[in-house]
This record gives sequence, C-alpha cells and structure tokens, in this order.
Amino acid sequence: MDSIRQAFELLFSFDKELWQIIGVTMRMSFFSTTISCLIGLPLGALLGTKQFKAKSFIKKTVHTLMGLPPVVAGLLVYTLFTHYGPFGKLNLLFTVEVMVIAQVVLITPIVIGLSSSFIEGSSKPVIETARGLRLSKSKTLFLCISEGRTSLFSVVLSAFGRSIAEVGAVSIVGGNIQWKTRVMTTAIMLETNKGKFSFALALGIILLLIAFIVNALASFIVKDKKA
Amino acid sequence: MIELQKVKKCYGERTVLDIESLHIGAGEIAAFAGANGSGKTTLLRLLSGVEKASEGKITIPAEILYMPQQCYAFRGNLIKNITLGSGDKAAAMRLLEALELSALAEKPASSLSGGELQRLALCRLLARECKVLLLDEPTSACDARGEQLVMQAVREYQKAHSCTVLMTTHSPVIAAQGCDRLVILNSGNIEADGVPREVLMHPETAWAKSFIARWKIEC
Repeated sequence: MDSIRQAFELLFSFDKELWQIIGVTMRMSFFSTTISCLIGLPLGALLGTKQFKAKSFIKKTVHTLMGLPPVVAGLLVYTLFTHYGPFGKLNLLFTVEVMVIAQVVLITPIVIGLSSSFIEGSSKPVIETARGLRLSKSKTLFLCISEGRTSLFSVVLSAFGRSIAEVGAVSIVGGNIQWKTRVMTTAIMLETNKGKFSFALALGIILLLIAFIVNALASFIVKDKKA
Repeated sequence: MIELQKVKKCYGERTVLDIESLHIGAGEIAAFAGANGSGKTTLLRLLSGVEKASEGKITIPAEILYMPQQCYAFRGNLIKNITLGSGDKAAAMRLLEALELSALAEKPASSLSGGELQRLALCRLLARECKVLLLDEPTSACDARGEQLVMQAVREYQKAHSCTVLMTTHSPVIAAQGCDRLVILNSGNIEADGVPREVLMHPETAWAKSFIARWKIEC
C-alpha cells in the first residue's frame, strides 16, 4: 500500500527527473516498436503467405531469435557500436538511439514470428478468394494484412510490451546515465540495488500504469476505427 | 477452349482425379455432379490454378474468375466487399439488386447468412470480366429462390460476356434446367457426359443410373 501511495505521490509531485525518465522510456519504446513493426510486419506477411524452399529454415531461425536473451542482443549491439567496432565512428554508444537499435534487434523477430503465424492461420481463405478474383499480389498481401489486423494489433502491443519492460539490452548499450539514457526499468534496477525497495516498487507501478494507459488508448483507437 | 488431357491429381497414394480427356467449348455452361469426394472441387481447383495437377495437361484461358466452395466475407459492408475499394459502386448496387441483397448493401458482410454470403461472393465475381467462370457449389446454402436468382444472374452474365461457365452442383434442377452440359464424376473419373436431359433420362452406366436415381429421390 505504501508503494502505491508513493507511486501516485511521485507522479503528481511532477518530479523533473521522473518525468524525464518516463519521456525517455516512451520515446525509446515508441521508436523501437514502430521500426520493428515497419520491418517485421511485411516480412511476417510474406513468410505467412508465400511458399518457398527455405521457408522452414527461416521460420526455425525466426523462432530461435524470438527467444534471444536481451543481454546477448545488448552485447551484440555494444560490440558493433563500441569505439573499436564497425560502427564506432557514429558515436552512438550510451545514447537513446543505440538503445532503440538494440530493442529493434530484440523485437523484430518477435513481430515477424507472431505476425507470420497469425497471417498463416487466417490467410488461406483470403488468398484463395483474392486469387479467384484475379487480384494482384500486392492487393492480396494488403487484404491479408487488413483482414488480420486485429491479430496484428496484438502483435504490435506485444512488441510494445516487450520494449517498455526490457532491461538487459538497454542497460548494456545505454549505460543507465542519469538525465540521458535512464529508463523506467533501469531506474527500478538501480533503486533495488540501492536497497530502496519501496521506491523501486513505486516506479514499477508507474511503469505498469503507463503500459495500461497505452494499451487502453490503442484499443480505443482500433475499436473506433472498426466502428 | 478448355482442354484436359490425361490429368491426374494425387494426394500421396490416393488419386482423387483421373481424367483421360475432357473438352469444354467456348460459351458452354457445364455442370459437374457426383457424390462427395468424387473430384468435383479438385477439378475446379486445378482449373483455377489454386492447385497444380500431378500429371497431364490443362489448357485454359488466363482470364478466369473462381468462386471457392467456402465463401469468404471481407471486412466492411457488402458494397465494399464487391468493389474492394476501387470498383464501380453503382454497378455493385445493380448486382446486389439483381441478387436481392440491396437492402443489406450497407450492412457488414460478416452478418450475412450462408445463402446470402454465396450470393455476395457471386456479385463480387460478376462485377469483373472474364472468359471462364468457375463456381464451386454456388447454391449449396441457398433456398429455392436464392438458387433461381443465382442461376439467372449467371446466365445473364454468360450472355453478356460470352464466357464459359463451369460449376459443381448437387442440384439436379440446376443441372437439368440451367446448364447446357452435365458431367457426372465418380471417384475422380468421368462416368457420364452429355446434354443434361439425356444424361438424366438415359444414363449409360449402371453406376450413373443408380446415382441419378438416388439424386432424384434426395431432391
């Protein structure tokens, strides 16, 4: 109860640092989800609707990458963007941008895997009907995505959920720098390490609240569009 | 126009279609009848290109429209289902009127009954042009009035576009009154082929005779 009270006190105290952390969290989650979906949804649609020789191998690879440990993804991106790495000259390490990149590496396979499964399960009658009407391949693909959009919306929310709750990769590449790359999850980790469990729990409650509000808003928008 | 030569379709060990030779002339309306599993749907799926034959040669024009047995309703209302975002709305409305669906034009397609959905799927096809119209049991969920409307619309479309129509059916009424030709399939083979009245009145084989007798009783 003390944590819940503290969570609301924190929120309404308009503490500058807290709101800055919330801002970074939202920015990072929004961009990583958007980029992952822009890459992952079309690839998932292709994987779900097309038949080709390497399909089984690609599906297995995607399913394996869906379980990629965040710290491994973080380490991989760290290696690429460290001073001596191939992208070291970009000076992106310990910035929000590289945190987004790490999250894209983590989330894109999830978007591809989930969307291809949803589309594969629901697209057969759509493809057959579209083929019967001699519709173009692009129109057929559009119809597959459009017809399965409720399921695909769940994929987007899953991606967002993974993004906002992720800690391992972002702490490696972001460094949890105050006023710069600190996000809700890394802040919770820091407060826990300092022994401030009640404060950490309050931050956790705020994180859950944010996730709930985003989900509710997104559901409202989709429902409104359907109507 | 449509030519099948030594066409076989197998699923593993099982041969579901084995046609030595079949020719359908331009402008014909042909019905394919037979018991469940006789190969009617497989034949139409091969002709539509949805599936590939295991053996043999199929010659058919590219401009085909195909209505699968399981009709699918896209999201949105009936007009949107026909135009798919780019077609002529007035033409779509005329088709809906012809198939007595105009009162439901603005309703979501997901709210239709099975028979209404079949009529909508037919509207969607008839709003486009083709040389061959393939219909897989287009009236299986329709009542007598629905069956009549479907056949009337198909015949009008066939006259207007001079296209060939191939349909599978379980209805002797459609076969006898709506088609120029009736082909009866049995275990993937052609058992009888000819003018519907002749096939129905004077079946050539004992199997065809018993099938037609059962068929008439059922209906």
